[in-house]
Amino acid sequence: MMLAFRSDLPLRKTAAGHFVQWLVMVLVFMAALAATVHAYTDGLLTHWNRSVVGTLTVQIPPPAAENATPAASTSDAVTAALGALKTHPAVATANLIPRGKVLELLEPWLGSGAAVSDLPLPALIDVQLRDNDASAAAAVGKALSAAVPTAIVDDHRVWLSRLTNLAEGVGVVALTLMAMISGALALTVIFATRASLAEFVQVIEVLHLVGAKDDYIAGQFARRALSQGIIGGLCGLMLYVPTLGVIAWLGSRVERGMLPDITLPLTLWLTLAALPFVAGLLAMATAHMTVRRTLRTMM
Amino acid sequence: MALIRKKNAGFTGDTVQLDGVALRYDTGRDVFKALTLNLPQKSFYFLTGPSGAGKTSLLSLLYLAMRPAEGTLRLFGEDVTLASRTRLAELRRKLGVVFQDFRLLDHLSAFDNVALPLRVAGIGEAAVRRDVSELLKWVGLADLMDARPAILSGGQKQRVAIARAVVNRPSLILADEPTGNVDDKIAVRLIQLFVELHKLGSSVVVATHNESLTARFPFPRLHLENGTLSVLPPQVGAETG
Ligand SMILES: Nc1ncnc2c1ncn2[C@@H]1O[C@H](COP(=O)(O)OP(=O)(O)OP(=O)(O)O)[C@@H](O)[C@H]1O
Ligand SMILES: [Mg+2]
Repeated sequence: MMLAFRSDLPLRKTAAGHFVQWLVMVLVFMAALAATVHAYTDGLLTHWNRSVVGTLTVQIPPPAAENATPAASTSDAVTAALGALKTHPAVATANLIPRGKVLELLEPWLGSGAAVSDLPLPALIDVQLRDNDASAAAAVGKALSAAVPTAIVDDHRVWLSRLTNLAEGVGVVALTLMAMISGALALTVIFATRASLAEFVQVIEVLHLVGAKDDYIAGQFARRALSQGIIGGLCGLMLYVPTLGVIAWLGSRVERGMLPDITLPLTLWLTLAALPFVAGLLAMATAHMTVRRTLRTMM
Repeated sequence: MALIRKKNAGFTGDTVQLDGVALRYDTGRDVFKALTLNLPQKSFYFLTGPSGAGKTSLLSLLYLAMRPAEGTLRLFGEDVTLASRTRLAELRRKLGVVFQDFRLLDHLSAFDNVALPLRVAGIGEAAVRRDVSELLKWVGLADLMDARPAILSGGQKQRVAIARAVVNRPSLILADEPTGNVDDKIAVRLIQLFVELHKLGSSVVVATHNESLTARFPFPRLHLENGTLSVLPPQVGAETG
């Protein structure tokens, strides 16, 4: 119905008004991306945590001799290492990763072919610990180097904790970005509202003179800001959807294994759907407050 | 037209009470000092005086655009200096003002301009449509309801301004030169509108330079000159109507 949008102020035509709409579009777009990155990093972290916690990888380097056959790596050292691991009380399982699997893991970096399969590769042993604690991992490492001095133990905990730091950092950045975006939106609405208040001083005076209360006038600005926020926000989402598509497509072209597939949670989609309305409400509340504050200084 | 709604049930004192009121612009000069004046309910006054005497200034005190620099102003018995912003808006809704410079909103049609006092008071659209079209017909602007002020003549604008002033059935009508841009025939018809409202119970103050009007209608005159206000008896009989 037309009447629902009737306004006594010619707010529709103001340049400041259009500016708010554009800005909300950009801000919602950025907020959507930030939220997505945050959700993806979160998912990545959970994924790594689940697959990596409580495991060790043991590397047994191939014999240094240039002409040694690849088969030499499945040597006494591996047998000794497996023996030491399997008898250790903290170890649940210890399995040699077959050479074929190792080649497969390396394929993204090295490619495949005869030349690669001739490379002297380390033997890899996948170790599952009974409990996920640092002292158990250290004890296993110690027992292992006693049995096989050349063995190298990768405790995933170390790189995982660095990744956790990274992910948390991304989260903090995303949240900071959102806060700054909200602040920028509020400031823009304040300035845009002040500009149109100044532009319409005469009209507002007439409205007061015929008996309008501050709330009535503020309501007109607030409704306008609400619709600008929602429209701008929806435009921002419309910009976001194809952007996400492009990023997902680029991601899918990266060799599998480097970027695990993370299912983004429902809460992310709900948050994104709410963004235009949050922006609209924020703009509305800010406009209402700004108008009321300014009107108090008027006739 | 059934224009008067009961608005001040219980209030029986003077509609306007000025007590020792001084009016001063930011420029520092007093337009008048220590003005004392009571306008009883259901009264009709002309407000006369030379140009620059302060007629518009006095009216702007009464329609609450200005505050007294000194003294007290009571409207409907209420001290306006003590009223909150919300209360001031409520008091203004009991007033109908015709501004000397009309103060129509250029971006709104004649219809929407007249509808303004009803809409800010939250009156439903059905009632707004009925009252506004009736009134615009009465002032002879039925064909110009959708016209913007920019394309209206001075006299047509004035009639829109008058329609806007009376559409909310005000208890106090303040008209500043409401007939300055129309011929005497229309002027009489417009004053007649105020007289009708006066008969229905509104108090009316009409500032005017038009001697043929003050001569034609038998109402007392408030005469403002050199910062003093005197009440003169009706001028009726000086001219025939
Ligand atoms: N906004 C203002 N700021 C400063 N001085 C003003 C202002 N408005 C009016 N005045 C001064 O106040 C005095 C009274 O002006 P006012 O407009 O009330 O006169 P008036 O009786 O309505 O005149 P007219 O018959 O020409 O309309 C004048 O000297 C005028 O210069
Ligand atoms: Mg004047």
